[in-house]
Parts: sequence; structure tokens; C-alpha cells
Amino acid sequence: MTFLARLGAPVRGFLEFLGDQVHLVLRTLRYGLLLRLDQLPIVGAQIRLQIRFTGLQALALVTGTALLLGAVTLIQAFSQLSGLGAENYIGVLMVLIILRELGPLLTAVLVIGRSATAIAAELGAMQLNGEVDALAAHGVNPYQYLLLPRWVGVLVSVFALVVFFDGAALGGGFLVAKLKYGVTFGFYMDSVRQTLSNRDFVATLLKVILFSGAITFHACHFGLGIRRSQTEIPQAVTRTVVTALVAVFLLDGLIAALFYF
Amino acid sequence: MIELHDLALAAPDGRLLLKELALAVPRGGRQLITGASGSGKSRLLQVIAGTEQPLRGRVAVGGRRLWPGDGALAGAVEVGLAFARGGLLSNLSLGENIALPLRFRGLPTTEVAARVGAALDRLGLSSVAGLRPHALSASARKHGNLARVLALAPELILLDDPLEGLDSADRATALEVIRAWELDPGKTLVIAQEEPDPFAGAPWRRFAMPSPPLLLEVP
Repeated sequence: MTFLARLGAPVRGFLEFLGDQVHLVLRTLRYGLLLRLDQLPIVGAQIRLQIRFTGLQALALVTGTALLLGAVTLIQAFSQLSGLGAENYIGVLMVLIILRELGPLLTAVLVIGRSATAIAAELGAMQLNGEVDALAAHGVNPYQYLLLPRWVGVLVSVFALVVFFDGAALGGGFLVAKLKYGVTFGFYMDSVRQTLSNRDFVATLLKVILFSGAITFHACHFGLGIRRSQTEIPQAVTRTVVTALVAVFLLDGLIAALFYF
Repeated sequence: MIELHDLALAAPDGRLLLKELALAVPRGGRQLITGASGSGKSRLLQVIAGTEQPLRGRVAVGGRRLWPGDGALAGAVEVGLAFARGGLLSNLSLGENIALPLRFRGLPTTEVAARVGAALDRLGLSSVAGLRPHALSASARKHGNLARVLALAPELILLDDPLEGLDSADRATALEVIRAWELDPGKTLVIAQEEPDPFAGAPWRRFAMPSPPLLLEVP
């Protein structure tokens, strides 16, 4: 009996976690739809704050990382494929490695490290300080004031960051192609354009939507779950990072299988 | 206004604080909840406000069932809750904290400004309205909680240790505001207070939390 209980506890915990995630998403959607017109400026201001922190303030980090990644990818590819007409595969390499996979995935990883941690810690501190209870008691719905702006803010930011990541990575790759092989910009872009398909755009959009949802609601779940002491905050942050990373990798695999398998 | 049946409360760590509580506060009633620190007074107020779930039992406020349920009053009754500690959003100034529930309610900007200004004036907080909670003194934060309730002008007022830790001048200011609510028959007032002295006698009804608290019983 004890053995069965031990076996069942993690399964039950996981199902409870999933149930709570669904509950958070559905409630946020429901209360989001119930927002009145006069409440939009208040929620809009919170969304702008979230976009400024998650998107704007991370722009240099994301574009810098992408620029280096694009350049390094082509340096490595050319070093292996030298003499085999590697320049003909530039577009295929960039689309397959950067645009389809690493762009959305690395952007999500950076957002988890920078913003999901901040959201979990902030909501945890608010919970301990009675701020969430104060909002609820005075008619300010926490789903509308706290969760919805974070979700929308992260969604807009991740979308914008993926676009900048892909653009910067393509730029980094072009610099290497130009310096090493004298590839022209027109040839480079034609090569990328021929490999890209509408399916890639749809898959990337789906990743942006699902990744931003997973990042936000994991952070909200663990942040709002804090009840007793400040020592729970670092634990919640760690759990947010680990579980959000696992969720993002799982979703990435699922989408890859769905679209390209 | 408030109906509690067979209510049991547990501390955050699961220890039983209170059981089989039956309490009814009529509309316009004055209810004092007394008890030692840690006896669960604040938790009882939060259960009534719908922000904490009781261990078991039924809670209805203004005819609307809160527990068992989702704790949402959904506009059935306007509630003002002054916290003993915390309760003010740390990324907003004191003035913005007081204005937020009013703005969320959809009141016109001019009315919000008038109500916030009047509440801040009444509690002597006008000079610190632009400061965030961390920059305020403990008594100003406590008065800030009262000012938010004052600006909201709710039907049901829940005050958690509103006089605790205040010096004589701040205490007199807070008491003046509470006395005004006490005289208003349209307000239902519930105060959790360690020392009952300022609210002794009629029209106050008194409920004492179990003393010593049932901290050693495990449900």
C-alpha cells in the first residue's frame, strides 16, 4: 500500500499541476473577455510595463546572442562542408537550424531566464505581502490585473523577440558568408527565401503562442502558490525555470513532429 | 449581512485554529472579534472577504454564498478590508493604491481624484501620497489601508487590528474615522482587535477567538 502511495503521489501531483494550469488559463481567458471598456487603460498600462521589461529591455541581449549564433553556425557549417559547395546550402542551413528551431527555442529560454523568474518572484512577494488578497477583496480581479497583462505582454514580447532573433541571426550568417565567400546579399536572401515555406511561419507562430503561455502560466502558478514565507520565493523561481524549460522543449518536439515528421 | 455556519479555520501550516463557529452579523451590525495574536482573527476576516478558503463550513455575505464556492462576491456587496500589515501594492504610490479599486470600478476620473484627495486629507497622508509603500512609515501604511477603505465607501468594512502599533496622535486619527463609520447605519463593521477597549459596550457585539488557540490539535 505504501509502495502504491509512493508511486501514485508524483502522478497525482503532476495531474494537479496540469489541472491548475488549465484552470489558470481558462479563468484568465474568461475574465479577459469580461473586461469592460473603461478597465482597458488600467490593464493596458500593465501590459505596456510587461512588454517594456520582457521585450524592450531584452532586445539587446536577444539580438546580440542571435547575431553571434548566426555567424557561428555558418562558420562551423563552412568548416565542415568546405569544398563541397557549401554556399549553395546557406539558405537550407539557416532556415533549418535558426528559423525553424533555434530562433523560437533560444528566445523562449532567454525569456524564461529573464522574465519568468521575475514574474514568479514578483507574484510570490505580492502574495506574501497581502497585495493579491487586497486586489481581490476590493473588486480588482487578479486574473484581469495580474495574469492577463503578463500573458499578453509575454506573448507580444516573445513574438517580437523571435522576429528580431531571426533577423539578427540571418544578419550574422550573412556577414560570415560575405567575408568568407563573398556571397552577395541578393544570393543569400534568395537562398533563404527558397527554403522558407508558409508551414515554417505557421509553426513559428504556434510556437510563440504556446511557449509564451507555458512561460507565463508556469511562473504564475509557482509565484501565486507561495503562502508562508520568503524562503519559498527562490524555490518557486527554480521550479518555474525547470518546469517551463521542460514544457517548452516538449512543445517544441511536439510541433516539430506535427509539422515536419 | 454575514452568516457563518459550522466554520473551521486552519493556520497556513494546517493546524486547527477554530471549529464549529456559528456567527451572524446583521446589515448595519457592529462585530468585534477579539483574541490573542496568532489566534486566527485575520484569517477569519479574510474568509469573510472571500480571499481565504476555510477548512470547512459555510460562509455567506450579503446573501451570496462565498464558501463552499470560489469566494467571489462578484459585486453583490462592496467590501473594504484594511490589512494589519501589507496590503498596498509595492509598485504603486499611496495615491495610486487608493485610486486603483475606484478606477477599476469605472468611476469618472474627477470623482476618483476627489475621493482619493478627501481620504488622504482625512488621514493626514496628503504629503506622502506620491510615495510608494516601502518609503512610508508603518503607521502611514496602516493609515493608507484605512484611506483606501474610506475612499471606497463600502457597505461592509473589515478592519484588521486598525490601532495596533500606532502612537497616540495616529490612533486618535484612526479612531475618529472608525467612529464615523460606527455612526453610519448603512455600514456593517467588523473589527479584529487584540485589545477590545476602544470598542467596548453597545452597539458592539463581541466574539472571542478560542484562547489559547487550538494550535496543538491536528485535524
